[in-house]
Amino acid sequence: MNLRTFLSVAGFAALAVLGLGSATAQTAPAGKSAATAKTPWGDPDLQGTWTSDDTWGVPFERPKNFGTRATLTEDELQQREKNISRNEEFVETGGPNAHSPAVAALEAKEKGEKPPEAQGRYGRGVDAAPVPGHWGEFARRASHQASQVVDPPDGRIPPLTPEAQAKLDAKMKLRREPIPASWMNWSDYDRCITRGVAGSILPVIYGNGLEIVQSPGYVAIRYEMVHDVRIIPTDGRPHINSNIRSYMGDAVGHWEGNTLVVETTNLKGDTLAIGVNGDGGAPYSDDMKITEKFTRVSPNTINYQMTVNDPKTYTAPWTVAFPITQEPGYKLFEYACHEGNMAMHNMLSAARREDAKAAKGAGK
Amino acid sequence: MKKQVLIGAAGLGLMLAAAPAWAHHAFAAEFDVNKPLVLKGTVTKMEWINPHAWIHLAVKNADGTTTEWMVEAGAPNGLLRRGFNKNSLPPGTAIVVEGWQAKDESTRMNGSNITYPDGRKLFIGSQGTGAPGDKGGDEKGDK
Repeated sequence: MNLRTFLSVAGFAALAVLGLGSATAQTAPAGKSAATAKTPWGDPDLQGTWTSDDTWGVPFERPKNFGTRATLTEDELQQREKNISRNEEFVETGGPNAHSPAVAALEAKEKGEKPPEAQGRYGRGVDAAPVPGHWGEFARRASHQASQVVDPPDGRIPPLTPEAQAKLDAKMKLRREPIPASWMNWSDYDRCITRGVAGSILPVIYGNGLEIVQSPGYVAIRYEMVHDVRIIPTDGRPHINSNIRSYMGDAVGHWEGNTLVVETTNLKGDTLAIGVNGDGGAPYSDDMKITEKFTRVSPNTINYQMTVNDPKTYTAPWTVAFPITQEPGYKLFEYACHEGNMAMHNMLSAARREDAKAAKGAGK
Repeated sequence: MKKQVLIGAAGLGLMLAAAPAWAHHAFAAEFDVNKPLVLKGTVTKMEWINPHAWIHLAVKNADGTTTEWMVEAGAPNGLLRRGFNKNSLPPGTAIVVEGWQAKDESTRMNGSNITYPDGRKLFIGSQGTGAPGDKGGDEKGDK
């Protein structure tokens, strides 16, 4: 519907037939409730293409004024729903930014006026901040959650250890250098290396898709942005030798009733964090253990939960939870991230330009 | 540089609301807020690549020469879900693109809107990047 309206507004209805693959709605197996559907070999069926888009805009940590209240009031929920409908409208019509801020800036210049403040996304903080723009995804269903962190009960990440705080400070110093010296100033995500286990599923501006495929004794998860894949054995094998370390770690799964439980250890420490794109927050240590739970509760919903335990980084374990859902037609598109990473080229060339300007200034 | 084709450029005192985050798609690290551009040209190629699609545009200068520009658009999946597809901009399509020039002064730009000669619009980006008009995106990790 959004698409159709968008196209009619754009006056370009011929585009209605999408050229990059047909929409294939995910549906439950016939005759069964998908929530309890089993694979032919008897495991709960989690297969399909999912996204964490519906949690876009839900704050990672709970605003302090909520205290231990984990869900929105009816009024707050209505506000979030309103933001979603405004964002849908934005996608359909272009919203206030249908008039480009670049054009507005140029016109204001001609008149000698200050450029108008352009309208952007709707809703900040707990009132949801889905991106209404053309690049960004946004929630389609309003979440009742006041935060993605659900434990401790105040929805706040437990205090960092002094060592972890020092690592975070050093990282932020690097990130905030006014003129970045090299590619080392940027994260593993920026450099198209990986987003890690947490960063690959926490909702961000776009690319929140993941595909789950199962076979007897294995669950495979392919993540859209930066294209990591995890192949998770569920046959009861132990973790590999602790000397072996990797960005995505060693994942071992088992079934508890209808729930897939995945424990990941052997992670490479001092690089990735538990936060957006694997970069938000303090780098975790080699001791990090991530325990995830996937429970299909309806045809188009899996309840996802992730508990992180790393005493070298956090003074207590903590848990994030949100649903991952299906959107008709959503497909993963190959993420040839490095080849397409023009951003790194542009940022480094911009920085070197700044260096050259500064050198010229100093030489005067 | 031959920029006679530009409807305008440079020198605007636009301010970003927040300090730029040095990150994947941090607008301010890549593009110059003081260089809004409107380019009129002909599509030579569209690259449907992640993390972002790029439109190649041949822009005729006043002296008769042609300059090739590269215009950054959104993520392919996002564009597709907004109604953009492989038939939207075949080579040869005449368009007007609005956006901001790269900080290194190369002929690359961050695109926002596309207008066809008859006035129809397509939207290609510039939200959630820290670009003017974006009400911040840093805290959600849109890098």
